[in-house]
Amino acid sequence: MYLALKEIRHEKLRYGLIVSMIVLIAYLIFILTGLAFGLAGENTQAIDSWDAKSIVLNKDSNVSLTQSVITTDQAKDAKLSAQEAVIGSTPVVAKHKGKEKISASFIGAKKSQFIINDLKISSGRKARGNHEVVVDQKFKDDGYKLGDKVTLNSFNDQYQIVGFTKNAKLNVAPVIYGTIPSWKHLRAMEGVPVVGSAIVSKNAKYNAKDDHLKTYSISYFISKLPGYSAENTTFGFMIGFLMIISLIIIAVFLYILTMQALPIYAVLRAQGIPARTLVSTITSQSLILMVTGLVIGAALTAATDSVIPIGVPMAFNLPVLTWISIGLLIMGFIGSAIPAQKIATVDPVKVIGG
Amino acid sequence: MSVIELNNINKCFGSGVSKVHVLHDINFSADRGELILVVGPSGSGKSTFLTIAGGLQTPTSGEVSVEGKSMAKLSTAQRDKLRLNQIGFVLQSYSLVPYLKVKEQFDFVNKVKRQGNLNQAELKELLAQLGIENLTNKFPGELSGGQTQRVAIARALFANPDIVLADEPTAALDSARVAEVGKLFKELAETRDKAVVVVTHDVRLMEFADKTYQIMDGKMTQATNKQPAE
Ligand SMILES: Nc1ncnc2c1ncn2[C@@H]1O[C@H](COP(=O)(O)OP(=O)(O)O)[C@@H](O)[C@H]1O
Ligand SMILES: [Mg+2]
Repeated sequence: MYLALKEIRHEKLRYGLIVSMIVLIAYLIFILTGLAFGLAGENTQAIDSWDAKSIVLNKDSNVSLTQSVITTDQAKDAKLSAQEAVIGSTPVVAKHKGKEKISASFIGAKKSQFIINDLKISSGRKARGNHEVVVDQKFKDDGYKLGDKVTLNSFNDQYQIVGFTKNAKLNVAPVIYGTIPSWKHLRAMEGVPVVGSAIVSKNAKYNAKDDHLKTYSISYFISKLPGYSAENTTFGFMIGFLMIISLIIIAVFLYILTMQALPIYAVLRAQGIPARTLVSTITSQSLILMVTGLVIGAALTAATDSVIPIGVPMAFNLPVLTWISIGLLIMGFIGSAIPAQKIATVDPVKVIGG
Repeated sequence: MSVIELNNINKCFGSGVSKVHVLHDINFSADRGELILVVGPSGSGKSTFLTIAGGLQTPTSGEVSVEGKSMAKLSTAQRDKLRLNQIGFVLQSYSLVPYLKVKEQFDFVNKVKRQGNLNQAELKELLAQLGIENLTNKFPGELSGGQTQRVAIARALFANPDIVLADEPTAALDSARVAEVGKLFKELAETRDKAVVVVTHDVRLMEFADKTYQIMDGKMTQATNKQPAE
């Protein structure tokens, strides 16, 4: 540790450069992770807020909520307890004169069932009739107010915004909570014997008892949301590659420095300094560089987070960031392995009397 | 008893047709208080001799003993310890850690070897004896060749070894500095009761030695004392 710190202090420029590389990589990884979680959140916030374990869909719907329809006949044997709620979902475009159009997910549900029952209203109140809706905060951010009346798709009916709710996004679109009859209207299925798109349940083993219906776990359902898995895989790959890049950078850098300093290590070995002491020098240098880089990277990330525009989906998940930091530290440790091995096996005879 | 003894040392490198026999039946011993010079041309085997004496490589045959203890019986860790405690090396270059100030070179030794080093007063006296007491806040890169060698000598003596082994310590120095270093080695051997072994091709050092060996093609012979070779 003594040599490690002294060398870093003496070679500020060199070590400053490598730290700045690590800072940039750490920052990039943190921001990407934030975006990954932010986007993932916008895909699933509404589902997460329901706190359900399973979802029943028409088995021919390809696990797609918007493709699924459950008929009255299919649902006749399904027992609905307080744990279950029926929803009807359809994508819509909301319009209000003079305001920006918003693509949204309409979710119709029964007032008496848990989805509406447990819905947390951040301002306003819950809907009372078919022409009242509770909408995601995004509408508020875009200038919509309580009492505004919106039209959906090309229908003429007006729906009054009576409440806002936070964290209600499904597949990156803000949710409009309304009623099942409204949903049927929007799907042009009035008079058709259907109950909704899906039954969600807090019971993981819920069974709707019909051959045309199938129960999926919520996590499987989420993984099948359009784009969701692809997005996460992309982010995962980017983060993984950045990890490997950080490993290579620190390994190459330490290797070059070590090879330059090898004669000094050799003489120190000749002077009887144990290999362990010298190896710990390079390992602690690597960790010092990584920790410094991570701390500065984290500070930059925090600064970025405080100035980022509302529209950019960013979510920082502390446990995940901690794991990533530990991952980077391990990379630093691995990166110092080759130089450490060079130092441990250096032959003093090679440098004495050349 | 001699503090270091080499008996019938042979050293060969390689095998078969590429085998080279570098040292032939070397017998050597050094006592405390003596400055012993091993003089020979480049390639004669001086460094090989010195590294074998210092336990950095093992002879093909023969025995090295320090204070009567055979080195062959020691493990790598025990040999590290022997070098740390009993042997001081002074080399042509790289003897100092480039990013440690002169005073930190000694601090570092204190961190690794916690006992038996010179104390602060003794260090001060040593630095004064070497004429480098004003250099303690300098980095090795800021020192001249002669200053560097004197700091390296101080570094080697700081751990209070019984034996100082020096390989070409004057290679980078001009004649005036050579004489200074020669005198210093002589004085240090006497006043500090060390066995100082210097291998060199620099015959200018011979006038300071108590004993001079000549080495030629790996064969060592004792030369007349305190007589220049020519
Ligand atoms: N590891 C080695 N392998 C083969 N030959 C070596 C090795 N080390 C030294 N030698 C040979 O031994 C001879 C003596 O080398 P050295 O002890 O370095 O001489 P000096 O220090 O007197 O210049 C040289 O001919 C050198 O090439
Ligand atoms: Mg040599």
